[in-house]
Amino acid sequence: MKTVLTLLLVVASAAWTTHSFAADITLAPPTHVSAEDVPNDIGTQVLIKWHASPDEENAGTRSLDGYAIYRKIAQTSEGLESIGEAGADASELGFPANFDFEDTQPIGSVSYGRTKFVDENVEAGNSYLYAVAATGPGGTYSPISVASSPVTAEMQWFNGGKFWFLIITAVISFVIIAFVVIAKKGGEIRVRKIAGLEAVSEAVGRATEMGKPVLFVPGILDINDIQTVAGITVLSNVAKTSARYDAKLRVPTARSLVMTTARETVEAAYLGEGRPDAYNENDIYYLTDEQFGYTAGVQGVMVRERPAACFYMGAFYAESLILAETANSIGSIQIAGTAMPSQLPFFVAACDYTLIGEEFFAASAYLSNDPEQLGSLKGQDIGKIMAAGLLVVGCVLATIAVTSESRTAQIAELYIKDNILGADGLVPNADKVAQIDAELDAQAQQPHAGGGGGS
Amino acid sequence: MAKAYTPGLLVTRHKTHRVMRRLPISGEVKVSVGDTVTADDIVAETSLPGDVNPINLSNQMSLPPKDVVECMLKKEGDPVALDEPIAQTKGIFGMFKTTVNSRYAGTIETVSPVTGQVIVRGAPLPVQVKAYVGGRVVSVRENEGCEIEADVAYVQGIFGVGGETHGRITMACQSHDQEVTPDLITADMQGTVIIGGARMTVEAIEKAREVGAAAIISGGIDDQDLKTLLGYDLGVAITGREELGITVIVTEGFGEIAMAERTFSMLAAHVGNEASVNGATQIRAGVMRPEIIIPLASIPADDADQQFEEGQLEIGRTLRVIRDPWFGMIGEVSGLPSAPHVLGSGSKARVLEVKFPSGETAIVPRANVELIEE
Amino acid sequence: MPRPATRTKAVDHLMSDITAIDPEKIKVILATDCGSTTTKAILIQFVDGAYRQTHRGEAPTTVEKPFADVTMGVINSVTEIGELAGRRLVGDDGRIISPATETEGCDIYISTSSAGGGLQMMVAGVIAEMTAASAKRAALGAGSIVMDVIAANDGRRPHDQIQRIRDLRPDMILISGGTDGGTTDKVVQIAELVAPAKPQPRFGSDYEMPIIYAGNKDARDAVSSVFDEGGFDLQIVDNLRPVLERENLSPARDKIHDIFLEHVMAQAPGYDKLMGWTGAPIMPTPGAVGDILQTVARLQGINVVGVDIGGATTDVFSVFDETFNRTVSANLGMSYSISNVCAEATMPNVLRWVPFDMDERELRNHVKNKMIRPTTIPQTKEALMFEQAVAREALRLAYKQHKEFATTLKGVQQQRTVGDTFSQETGGMTIVNNMKLDLLVASGGVLSHAPRMHQTAMLLIDAFEPEGVTMLAKDSIFMMPHLGVLASVHPKAAEQVFDRDCLIYLGTCVCAKGSPKPGKLCFKYELSGSLTDSGEIAGGELKLIEMGMDDRAKIILTPARGIDLGAGPGKRVEKEVRGGTVGLILDGRGRSLSLPEDRATCQATVQGWLDSLDVYAEEKEAVAV
Repeated sequence: MKTVLTLLLVVASAAWTTHSFAADITLAPPTHVSAEDVPNDIGTQVLIKWHASPDEENAGTRSLDGYAIYRKIAQTSEGLESIGEAGADASELGFPANFDFEDTQPIGSVSYGRTKFVDENVEAGNSYLYAVAATGPGGTYSPISVASSPVTAEMQWFNGGKFWFLIITAVISFVIIAFVVIAKKGGEIRVRKIAGLEAVSEAVGRATEMGKPVLFVPGILDINDIQTVAGITVLSNVAKTSARYDAKLRVPTARSLVMTTARETVEAAYLGEGRPDAYNENDIYYLTDEQFGYTAGVQGVMVRERPAACFYMGAFYAESLILAETANSIGSIQIAGTAMPSQLPFFVAACDYTLIGEEFFAASAYLSNDPEQLGSLKGQDIGKIMAAGLLVVGCVLATIAVTSESRTAQIAELYIKDNILGADGLVPNADKVAQIDAELDAQAQQPHAGGGGGS
Repeated sequence: MAKAYTPGLLVTRHKTHRVMRRLPISGEVKVSVGDTVTADDIVAETSLPGDVNPINLSNQMSLPPKDVVECMLKKEGDPVALDEPIAQTKGIFGMFKTTVNSRYAGTIETVSPVTGQVIVRGAPLPVQVKAYVGGRVVSVRENEGCEIEADVAYVQGIFGVGGETHGRITMACQSHDQEVTPDLITADMQGTVIIGGARMTVEAIEKAREVGAAAIISGGIDDQDLKTLLGYDLGVAITGREELGITVIVTEGFGEIAMAERTFSMLAAHVGNEASVNGATQIRAGVMRPEIIIPLASIPADDADQQFEEGQLEIGRTLRVIRDPWFGMIGEVSGLPSAPHVLGSGSKARVLEVKFPSGETAIVPRANVELIEE
Repeated sequence: MPRPATRTKAVDHLMSDITAIDPEKIKVILATDCGSTTTKAILIQFVDGAYRQTHRGEAPTTVEKPFADVTMGVINSVTEIGELAGRRLVGDDGRIISPATETEGCDIYISTSSAGGGLQMMVAGVIAEMTAASAKRAALGAGSIVMDVIAANDGRRPHDQIQRIRDLRPDMILISGGTDGGTTDKVVQIAELVAPAKPQPRFGSDYEMPIIYAGNKDARDAVSSVFDEGGFDLQIVDNLRPVLERENLSPARDKIHDIFLEHVMAQAPGYDKLMGWTGAPIMPTPGAVGDILQTVARLQGINVVGVDIGGATTDVFSVFDETFNRTVSANLGMSYSISNVCAEATMPNVLRWVPFDMDERELRNHVKNKMIRPTTIPQTKEALMFEQAVAREALRLAYKQHKEFATTLKGVQQQRTVGDTFSQETGGMTIVNNMKLDLLVASGGVLSHAPRMHQTAMLLIDAFEPEGVTMLAKDSIFMMPHLGVLASVHPKAAEQVFDRDCLIYLGTCVCAKGSPKPGKLCFKYELSGSLTDSGEIAGGELKLIEMGMDDRAKIILTPARGIDLGAGPGKRVEKEVRGGTVGLILDGRGRSLSLPEDRATCQATVQGWLDSLDVYAEEKEAVAV
């Protein structure tokens, strides 16, 4: 496919040769052009490097805009291939001496000061020959400077640069699996008490004693939002408790799909508690998709029915405080759970209990006591601890690296940044190390007069 | 100070005993005042309504509740047996039918099209109250129960497990201090009340249960054996509802302890006679001890009311020490110092001096002895 | 038919008597407590400007056959006092002489009773943790034994609940449920469980089962109609949980007392006569104990925990910040229930307190023999040490149950600020805080009759694990019930006698909270006042400083890092301490108290503790000889 395209291009460019030779070749060419395969990729990239054109140096009277990069296919994986130029011999590969700047489209260009270009549009297995020319204003060019040898793009099965990623994934996976196995074998996995979930029975009990309903608001987003899903999990628990305590449960929803899901969840919960007779699907109803229409509707329910317990579990926006304040004014116990950072402070201040972000998502593991969920929860926690640890170590190292001239700290920081978190593989990049050494050398040669930093 | 009162165990050759027979809920009393009853006669009867068991068919057949009614194989009021099919789905073109079997036996009470639940009510549980002790009916409480009176020989045990039963008295041991071992229990003891001597082992009790004995009575039992027998560690001495298949009574206590000779000989004198036995024990306010009641054909001539209860402590009286370090030993009072004495534990208590048959004497707190009548 | 919540004539008569009493004129007080086995009488007299308990007498209780008249035991015990005091208290007509003259009689006679198993109740509410818990608190506070709690969410199915109600034979039933204006149908459902079950009162069927309704006021009519059929004596009082945020227990408690007098006591032999003699209503013994502890806590502004360990049950009372709680651990006791303590605590837990090896098979038989013969007493030191080990576990378990019950109210709206983001506590947290505890009072055979006071002190510290600075005391002759009734008539006299004669101060214990490292510094102390001393307590160390009954000293405590003595971890504490029959106990073992797992190490550790407090003195003497 690509070959065909390239052929078409070449044919097209050949057709334009009639308007050629208008280019003004006045600039000095870049030197030492080389091309190399980019490692650890699927074979679609080639890195081209060169030394800047001497014309770039005299920046005051710069006559250079940048560089244009040209490419010829030298050989495909299937064998030799003609470059496609009319009359060209199959063996005569490469760029012609009288290179037509006007008619040949460069595969890319960079502005002056840059000496690298990554060609991301190559095909694995093909050999390419690259050439670079300096370009100036008004269509001025330098003669092309051709790479010393063609390069073949190759695909690697493993991305060695991401080796650390493999290690971290393996460790976390192992930890999760280990905890799941432990949990299944009856090992105790303790989950910190989540006050908000512990209080569910208290809130529903209050509603029962007061003879008032329980109100559950599953957020304003649709069922495809993960927070709504988490909210439905909590709803299942609230419904079970309501069934056991024989309290009325009202669930107004803002999306029709959420309503359907909530109905099924609540019905299953009532059946599970042996109280299918107490389930009434009309208590779970759709109000409107409109954000504030919905809010007003829920407020109406609050003011009319004065529920003794209100739950807000899902995604909330500006309505959070409106709802929480209304329910507070009617004296109900409120339990909120959301992962919306901007709404959390409102819920914390106005509600009795709030499940914050992660707590909210951990709710289903907490409530179900299912070993698989508990095990993976614990495993994820270990992963988070590792990430946090890395963060702290990185911060400390970075601080040391900039405040002192310790080579070790700088190398370590580099290692965390570019090897563990980056894509440099297991071994630090020699170039970068050399650069650090060079900088340190330069600093060492400077007199220590400004060392106090007083200026 | 007034005379010390410590509850003692009653062992008497004759007393006029009354037992109250009562139904748990109101029902029919089948006897009237003046009737003579035997231990097995049913004196009152009633039936408890059966348990209510819901089966959720809607869930089990994955059908909406209103479709459940059409799938029912049984109708309301039909009796169902355990594991009998009660409903079946229509399936797809007559295939892939799901059948639901009843998990309970009883009668179909309701089929709800709203909830998809079927309610099976278990059979009513007949409750019968037997006379327990053969005798005369002396009073009847309508719909509640009656009272039966009889002249009996009566023995209170210290502790027992298992409820009311009755049978002929047979002896397993030749003396009051012989341990009860499985080899002493024989097949011909079926339905009898076995009298042992000293400690009975759990193996002996299990053997007695195997041969179908009604009860086994002996001097002592090891706590470990009791735990093995019951399957749990008894916390509070409130018993009588265990379903062991045999009633077990100890007359003296836990450990290796022989039955009081007096009790042993009295029971031995009634070999072959019918005895009513109840292991129910309640050591609390309103104390209840296990009992062995032997209805008498004739009232003994000598003393119609000779009781062997606690009397006054006097020098020369025979007693048993009921607390370590001399637990279970029998001796006689050899001194009654009136001043409190400091015990090895450091507490001060009123004590007495006891002389054991070996000639040894010991100082024992008065709280730790029990008088034995000769 | 329901009756309005008014007191009966008998009670009215008593109440008018009380109001007629002028506390200033009371100089001689006679009080009795009719226990299930013993009737104890005490005489309180106004001597040298203060009320003092002067004499006491004891006689067996005569409620059961063959005597069947409680007044016989009362007269016997009072006669004994009379002889001791040289004062004629019983007249020729066999009645207690009142009012007093110079040489005869008493100004007021009061009594408590726990004979016949005390007051046994069943309570019901809608939610077990809310109204049912409040009902239980009211019943326990009134001094009753709560046989069972029925609630809509107790997990039992209706027919099981009915069966249970049928099986129990309570003296009365307290039904609560719903806030005022709250649920009606749930309350009626509860009533509908009780009515068809037709529970029979314990003392025969001569009287109708008293039922107190203290629930939603809107449900009164509906509940009345449920009990309309007869066989019940329905009494309606104010809701004990008018809103979930507040309890109003006193109307229900008062009504329980009234019914206790009117129905329950009237059924017990001789009580009608006794009621005619007393100058204040007869109270259930535990209720009276609760009252005196509350009075003392209020008057002295302290937090108090009291414990009464009996043969069958253990009562724990606590007053924290003027909130009173009582629990009865029905199957934790030292004789009838000793086997249950061993089963519940498990034998290894009991044996960890015993510093020598014991044969387990023999031990188990001993425990069971004690259970079936509850009146025996330990004769050897080993037997005593074992019994005290059991007592530690019984007290520990009872206190644990108490902590779980004595909580803040559940179902209450919480007030939050953003500062609470990461520290949201649920409602219903325990209000028992050992660090805030000022006074720990012990009573009951195994504690008050221990041969050495040191044993009582050690038992209390090991079982209750007090923290910071706590005073330890024991009830000398189980006088608290008497003083509880007295407190309702004459609080000043009650408090004076409580402080001077009722309590025997064992001393003060200073206990470090935290986990000090063994052998490393736990805290430093500096004493000034009646005695001057200073030193250091290492982790795991226990030290006794002799301090007499009347000694007072200022103590300055400097805890090590992470150790809390009342002012927070590592913070200096300055307090006044008083001595007692034992002295000042400095405890560096840390909280919570943990013993080594290994049996041999554990024995050595426990022996070390016992030695440092000189708990079983005789052995030391024996070694010395």
